[in-house]
Amino acid sequence: MTFIKDFINVLSASSISFLLLSFVFAFIVFFNLLDGKLKSKGGYAFIGLGVVIVLAGLVIRPLLYLGVAYFLIMFGLATLGGRLWDSRVGLRLLIGGAAAFFLSMLDPNFYLIAAKPDNVPIGAMIFLLGIFTWIALRKAYLNDKQIAIGGIPWEKTESDEKLFTWPDLVYTEMLCMILLTIVMVLWSIVLRAPLEEAANPTSSPNPAKAPWYFLGLQEMLVYFDPWLAGVVLPTLIIVGLMAIPYIDTNPRGNGYYSFRERKWEIGIFLYGFVVLWSFLIITGTFLRGPNWNFFGPYEYWDPNKLVPLVNVDLSEIIWVRTLHMPLPKLWFIREIFGIGLVLAYVSLPPVMARGPFRRFYLKMGAPRFYVGSMLFLIMMALPIKMVLRWLFNLKYIVHIQEIFFNI
Amino acid sequence: MKPQEPIPHNYTMRSLNWIFLWSSVALLAVTVLMVGYDYIRGWKWFQREFLRMQQERIESDLQAAEQDQNKTQLAALDTQVRQNEVDIARHRAAYVLAQKDLDSWEGEHYKADEDYRFAKANLDAQRYNAETSIVQKRADAAAQQAEYKRQETHVNDLQLNLQEVTRKRDAAKARVDAWLKKIKDAEDKKKELMAEIDLLNKQLETVKLAGGTLVLNFPMLDFINPTFKVDQVVIPDMFMDVNYMHVPRVDRCMTCHRAIDRPGFESKKEAARLAAELQQKLDTFQIVAEKRKDAEDRIKQLKRIQEAELDTLNPWRTHPKLDTFVGSASPHPLLEFGCTSCHRGMDRATEFGRAGHVPPNHTMEARWSGNWGVFSWGNMLRPWRYLTGAAEVDNQRRTWGWEENEFNESPMFPRQYYEAGCIKCHAGQIGVDQGEKITKAEATVELYGCYACHKINNWRFTDLRKPGPDLNGIAEKTTPEWAIRWISEPHNFRSTTRMPSFFYQRNMVDPHVVPAAERAQNIKYQDAEVHSIVAYLFAKSTHRVWQPGPAGDAGRGKQLVESIGCMGCHVDTEQVKDEKSGAMRLAKRDDFPLERNYGFNLTGVGTKTHAAWIYNWIKNPKAYYADAPMPSLRLTDQEAADITAFLLTLQKPQFLQTPVRNVDPRAVHDLAKGYLINTLTDRDAEAKLRSMPLNEQLVYLGQRSIEKYGCYSCHNINGFEGLKPIGTELTTEGSKALHLFDFGFAHDYVAEDGKHEEILHNVPSWVYNKVRNPRIYDDTRTKSYNDKLKMPNFHLSEDEARRITTIVVGLTKDMVSPNRLAAQDPHMRLIEEGRKRVSQHNCRACHVVDGRGRAIASTIADTNFLPPDLSPEGARAQSAFLFNFLKDPTVMKIRPWLSVRMPTFHFTDAEANQLVTYFAEEGKGDPFDTTRGMQPSPQNVEIGRQVFTMLRCAQCHVTTPVNPENPPVPNVADTTSLAPNLTLARLRLRHEWIPDWVRRPNEMIPGTRMPTNFPHDAASGGFISPLANAIDTPAFAQYKAALLPQFGNDPVRLKKTMGDAVALTDYLRDYIWSIGITQMRAAGTGGAAPPAVLPTQPSLPPAKPSVNAALRR
Repeated sequence: MTFIKDFINVLSASSISFLLLSFVFAFIVFFNLLDGKLKSKGGYAFIGLGVVIVLAGLVIRPLLYLGVAYFLIMFGLATLGGRLWDSRVGLRLLIGGAAAFFLSMLDPNFYLIAAKPDNVPIGAMIFLLGIFTWIALRKAYLNDKQIAIGGIPWEKTESDEKLFTWPDLVYTEMLCMILLTIVMVLWSIVLRAPLEEAANPTSSPNPAKAPWYFLGLQEMLVYFDPWLAGVVLPTLIIVGLMAIPYIDTNPRGNGYYSFRERKWEIGIFLYGFVVLWSFLIITGTFLRGPNWNFFGPYEYWDPNKLVPLVNVDLSEIIWVRTLHMPLPKLWFIREIFGIGLVLAYVSLPPVMARGPFRRFYLKMGAPRFYVGSMLFLIMMALPIKMVLRWLFNLKYIVHIQEIFFNI
Repeated sequence: MKPQEPIPHNYTMRSLNWIFLWSSVALLAVTVLMVGYDYIRGWKWFQREFLRMQQERIESDLQAAEQDQNKTQLAALDTQVRQNEVDIARHRAAYVLAQKDLDSWEGEHYKADEDYRFAKANLDAQRYNAETSIVQKRADAAAQQAEYKRQETHVNDLQLNLQEVTRKRDAAKARVDAWLKKIKDAEDKKKELMAEIDLLNKQLETVKLAGGTLVLNFPMLDFINPTFKVDQVVIPDMFMDVNYMHVPRVDRCMTCHRAIDRPGFESKKEAARLAAELQQKLDTFQIVAEKRKDAEDRIKQLKRIQEAELDTLNPWRTHPKLDTFVGSASPHPLLEFGCTSCHRGMDRATEFGRAGHVPPNHTMEARWSGNWGVFSWGNMLRPWRYLTGAAEVDNQRRTWGWEENEFNESPMFPRQYYEAGCIKCHAGQIGVDQGEKITKAEATVELYGCYACHKINNWRFTDLRKPGPDLNGIAEKTTPEWAIRWISEPHNFRSTTRMPSFFYQRNMVDPHVVPAAERAQNIKYQDAEVHSIVAYLFAKSTHRVWQPGPAGDAGRGKQLVESIGCMGCHVDTEQVKDEKSGAMRLAKRDDFPLERNYGFNLTGVGTKTHAAWIYNWIKNPKAYYADAPMPSLRLTDQEAADITAFLLTLQKPQFLQTPVRNVDPRAVHDLAKGYLINTLTDRDAEAKLRSMPLNEQLVYLGQRSIEKYGCYSCHNINGFEGLKPIGTELTTEGSKALHLFDFGFAHDYVAEDGKHEEILHNVPSWVYNKVRNPRIYDDTRTKSYNDKLKMPNFHLSEDEARRITTIVVGLTKDMVSPNRLAAQDPHMRLIEEGRKRVSQHNCRACHVVDGRGRAIASTIADTNFLPPDLSPEGARAQSAFLFNFLKDPTVMKIRPWLSVRMPTFHFTDAEANQLVTYFAEEGKGDPFDTTRGMQPSPQNVEIGRQVFTMLRCAQCHVTTPVNPENPPVPNVADTTSLAPNLTLARLRLRHEWIPDWVRRPNEMIPGTRMPTNFPHDAASGGFISPLANAIDTPAFAQYKAALLPQFGNDPVRLKKTMGDAVALTDYLRDYIWSIGITQMRAAGTGGAAPPAVLPTQPSLPPAKPSVNAALRR
């Protein structure tokens, strides 16, 4: 038992970013699965990628975890296949998850964190998020099946019918109101309001955490400078959300659930919302302990735990470690690789438009494609930076302290 | 019209209705639950329980009162009332007539009164009309004026009429009252008899949870005016810092601690203590006559508490010291000070777990925190437990959901450290009245010199001397062989020494804590440090030559040491009898009063140093170093030689034979290099070390080690002048956040005295265990040698450690409004500055000051030979005399029979003035006055002389003038009389003090030899003169004859004067004044020490100066 807990602790502490990465793969695999393409050329490519990761894991130890996670998810999905959307499988997944969660409560360290009145709703959120995502995808799956055999989506079958406002709408709304009130009252009775002593700027709690809905932002601060993580990225999140209706002009899938018709739209949204935003909130809540150190789910939050800070910049990796040269004095030369890399990254859209994403480019038109792909690239910058940090202790890609500009 | 096709519903209405029904029921249920939870607060239960206790108490009081009731008297009164009623009934006709008459007059009166008031209102209105008509120059001005006059007359008439009617009404009323009076009188008397019971019954009504009270406290109705409510006291002078502003504290403790200011709910133990104290006060007549009855009642109440079946538990107990705290007549009344101003804690909290209670030990912590988790059944069932009284069971078990709150910035002081709360207001005082514990704790911190290493920025602990001796002349005093052994473990030499142990402590050598390999290494390093410190000290020491004295006699020396006062500050034994076992054991500091720990223990001094040094030191300590706290006893050469001879017999040869390990050059090299590489590279450091011989390396390492251990904080050491003290500043240590304390990994340990100590996770426990075992928090830590904890071990007993902890945790940031700080007015400041000198110079070793002190008493069997009690010194001594005497005690020998000598302290003028001002301020006398020059009239002197003879003062007091030469040499008689020579009085005593003293000596100095000639008259509070009657006896005939002429031969006047104690003592004073000498030698400059015996030629070559200039930093 202890061994399993330790393994989970180690796994979670060192491979959180690999999980993120394997989610990326998993989503791509996912699209293929639904199309039954696992055994196709692309499918073999992804299996090949997994093998490469495992081989690399023999050299870079943490990559091994990534390989394990990758294969677990990929073969899990492959085995389940379409049956993932079977309601019995869904129930089992739910029961399994809940059982794992509540059994974990027997562990005092886990209980201490998960049963904190502030964290209980976030624990509930994990399940709600899972359930609703599953339901939506299940409906999409069923509809897709209908469409595939030439039927019409389920929602369409009933869209012509009429209903009374009373009782069909108002009555159910009122019932929801009553039931929610009951839940809220019980909640307020059972869980103590998490109020603490009067704030004291000279003695802040450790860890000092943002409100739960900002924990994702706080987590981002670990990887980016405040001007990026605190200003640019949040602004782009809002701008990006506002831009969605203008970028996504795909008329299909309106008014009914469908995955196949909107693979990329749903995939990107789920990745950004579930994997990046929600997952970071969960990480910030349950896995970030004193001094914002990483703690596994069963680990004791020891405020004295020390993690060595040995992060290096890209320029050091290239100049000092690879080329065995001193750092050039001129910052422009010193950071030339980082700057080049960043420039190359942001100039990917034209390349993408010509290469594998040509059909999107043609479908969306140039303005939509460039705006959309820029937003997508910026979103992906976060997991990329995280993975680089965890794998190579990379601090900054561009580090120009002379003008306080770091990426 | 075609009937519309029914549209099918999306849901079955029937099931929706069912859902609606059940969810509504559930909503109702949770609403009830919500109200229930809101209603059931922990404190309500405490209040309800207290009401029940009060009810029981009142009912038992009621029972007792009813038993005391005089039944027959009540019955007699009842009959009387009935009799009167019969009487009235018999003369009913007359009574009714009178009543009717009164009724009609009441009517008349009402009418007349109304007429008058209405007319007056009209008159006021008319005045306005008349005035406006004039101002507006209206035509009818004259008419209005006339109308006003007319109405004025009318009002006057009505007033007269009203007065007349009132008079008649009163008369009629008196006639009726005459009838009723008899009945009323008897009823009043009955009421008076029943008053106590009525009062108790009324009280009972207020505490019974029934009827109106029940309705007022009913859920949902209790917002109107409940009797269960949060009580609070706003303390305007104590602040909470809520960032950027200070808000007053609001104490709600009394919401649960209901009886805190109500006597009668003490615990049995406290009740027994209080009853005994009160009884003792009663027995010694310390309580004034009118309060004695109350005191007796209180004792009865306390007895009842002791005999009660159940003990009162917290939180319902009364404060155990109502006379000092909380009580409305005490100096700290509840309404002004609340609770948290002393105890600290979360003032606004009303839950046990959140109020900042701090458990004093693990047992209590476990009992308090028997926690119901968030999801536990215990929590869910709370309302049920409340209703069924299961909460009572919880209370018995005291599992109160306590949890540690590390963010609470002012947790309460645990039970052992309550007195720490005094410091925030009383830190400007040397002693706290009735605060024996805090006073002793402060004195302990001062004596042990905590302030030397740990800066305490607080009047009480600043401006004090360095606690250790000057080490700049150590080579003149002792040998390196001794010093090495001493530094290694001072307690091996003297068990009571205040010098702590720095080396070979738990975190360095304890085999249970340190692995064997590391241990061997540590010992080598410690050896190197010990040797190097000694090397440095001796290299830097001066080498003056002290000339030995003449040959002395040890026997005489011993006598001198025991008699001239050395024993006030020193102890000469290390063996004491254990109180428990009766066996001899090594002494601890606590075996002697603090004052006697002031000087070092004399045992072994002969081993430590040599004859010449001792001889010169005791002759003049200031010659060795200027700040020496030891005063000069003005020893003659022979005396000094005798004492030297005696001290040399105090040997501890075995100490010098304890083996000392040789210093390992490798260890010296390693350690020295460790310091050098802070500024040099490894290579340069090696080179530098190679160029230094071992001795030089030792001196370098010594300097660094002294810096590391902070020896210079307590000792003056050459080369360390002006360095900051080594330790953490403690000025606000009590407010330091808990997470800033490093608890290490230790949870418990066995202390040196065998007690099993546990470490709780709170600041007081941390501090306590830190001082008790300073290296404990290094247990199982992985640290490099120089990072290990360095605080030395003082080998404190539990009690000493508790005292020091009390001070440390009491040094908080708590904000108090300046008007609440004790002793802040300029007058008190002068007094406290003086008290500080008294404490600093250990005056209490010999004298009683402010009612405390005289540690020397334990070594002097006959109380007549004790140094004087200075409690009344302020009112007693003339400032001019006192100043001279303090500067140079030889200016006057007041009590020549004492063998204890007043030492010469070499006070500076400033210090002497501080002391003189202190005494004068405390005695409320002016420092200087003109009384010394007063010439009493010859008549007064003559009367005084006769009274003096009659009272036979000359039996003890000598009136022969002392040798007019200065200094006055005492007469032979003076040395045997045990009473001061009265011719010195005029120079020494305050004019107004002498008669006061003669009247009430025993009040001023309890147990004085001076007899009380004028006893107190208990009835009048005045004095009784024994001469009032004696003057008429034949034995006093001659005095009467001599006195009569002074009173114009009027025996009545004479007799009257002889009965007047105040007049008689004034005459005595005048007589004493008349025989006093008037000249006194002025003190020398005194403050400066006599010149030291200067070295002719250094016997040892001075240390090579080459060592450091280059190496230092």
